[in-house]
Amino acid sequence: MKKLFILITLFGLLGSAQAQNRFFTKTGKISFDATTPKSPENIDAVNKNSTCVLDSKTGDIQFSVLMKGFEFDRALMMEHFNENYAESDKFPKTIYKGIIVNNAAVNYSKDGSYPAKVKGKLTMHGETRDLETEGTLTIKNGKVAVSAIFPALLSDYRIGIPQLVADKVAKTAKITVDCTLEPLTK
Amino acid sequence: MNKKKKNILLLLLALACLAGAGAFYAYKEFNRKAEDLSSAKAAYQVTAVELIDAFTGNEAGGNAKYLSQVIEISGTLKKTDQDEKGNKILVLGDTTSMSSVRCSLDSLYGKAGVFEQGSLVKIKGICTGFMADDLGIGSDVILTRCIPVKQ
Repeated sequence: MKKLFILITLFGLLGSAQAQNRFFTKTGKISFDATTPKSPENIDAVNKNSTCVLDSKTGDIQFSVLMKGFEFDRALMMEHFNENYAESDKFPKTIYKGIIVNNAAVNYSKDGSYPAKVKGKLTMHGETRDLETEGTLTIKNGKVAVSAIFPALLSDYRIGIPQLVADKVAKTAKITVDCTLEPLTK
Repeated sequence: MNKKKKNILLLLLALACLAGAGAFYAYKEFNRKAEDLSSAKAAYQVTAVELIDAFTGNEAGGNAKYLSQVIEISGTLKKTDQDEKGNKILVLGDTTSMSSVRCSLDSLYGKAGVFEQGSLVKIKGICTGFMADDLGIGSDVILTRCIPVKQ
């Protein structure tokens, strides 16, 4: 009985300790830009309902975003994006799972700005590819701001660009992450 | 001879009109903005809990039914979030559950309106999908371009 009690307390402690290591947001901003110098207009969109979770202990970081949630200036571009390029009905979600390589160098309890290198896998349009980049973690008042730019070569993800507009859509889309994470308290 | 000339002139005029109409249509289509949902008809009327249940355990089924659809949803307001521009995100669902329906209000309506926590609200929006809870932060159905429905 006593052992059981200790075990339960231990698990409880473990659980709460784990919870304190985690930061998250559900209102993260992820935008993408596939504009080239030859594009007649900006090809960009923003999604403000992205989820991001970061474990400060292990450096595990994950972003998820719903393709249909990208907002464009032009409705027509949004329709083309969803129907012809991203095929959002078939592949509604894009997920990046990675790890902060230099996590040990980041002091999450001290305000400041830290360069971060992430390594991981991006799953988009049903394809998974290794993807790494460098970004910044800014710690302020217990919150963690994550900003980074991921370059995604569209052909890697089987996203085809029709010949007719080949020089008007960038071959590598710039995915910009801008999220402020709050500590996860349960 | 004179009649023939007249015919050609008429034909050219008609062609010019057609081209003009085509150009106008293309221009309008190119600049078209996403529609405001206030006059859109909802394809489904459900409660927040029903909508979450439809996706939980069967994400593909939920997607097949609700993705891109205009949904009218009613539920208890758990809390109100804000994006960086100050637009409101209403979080609906069962207050004892981690799962919710997150409705980001259309920027036309985003800042206005007072929503009381714990009250029953009715909202119309477009379903963009489901974020399954694989990280222990609760799963969510996401609705965008939402507008409050007058009761």
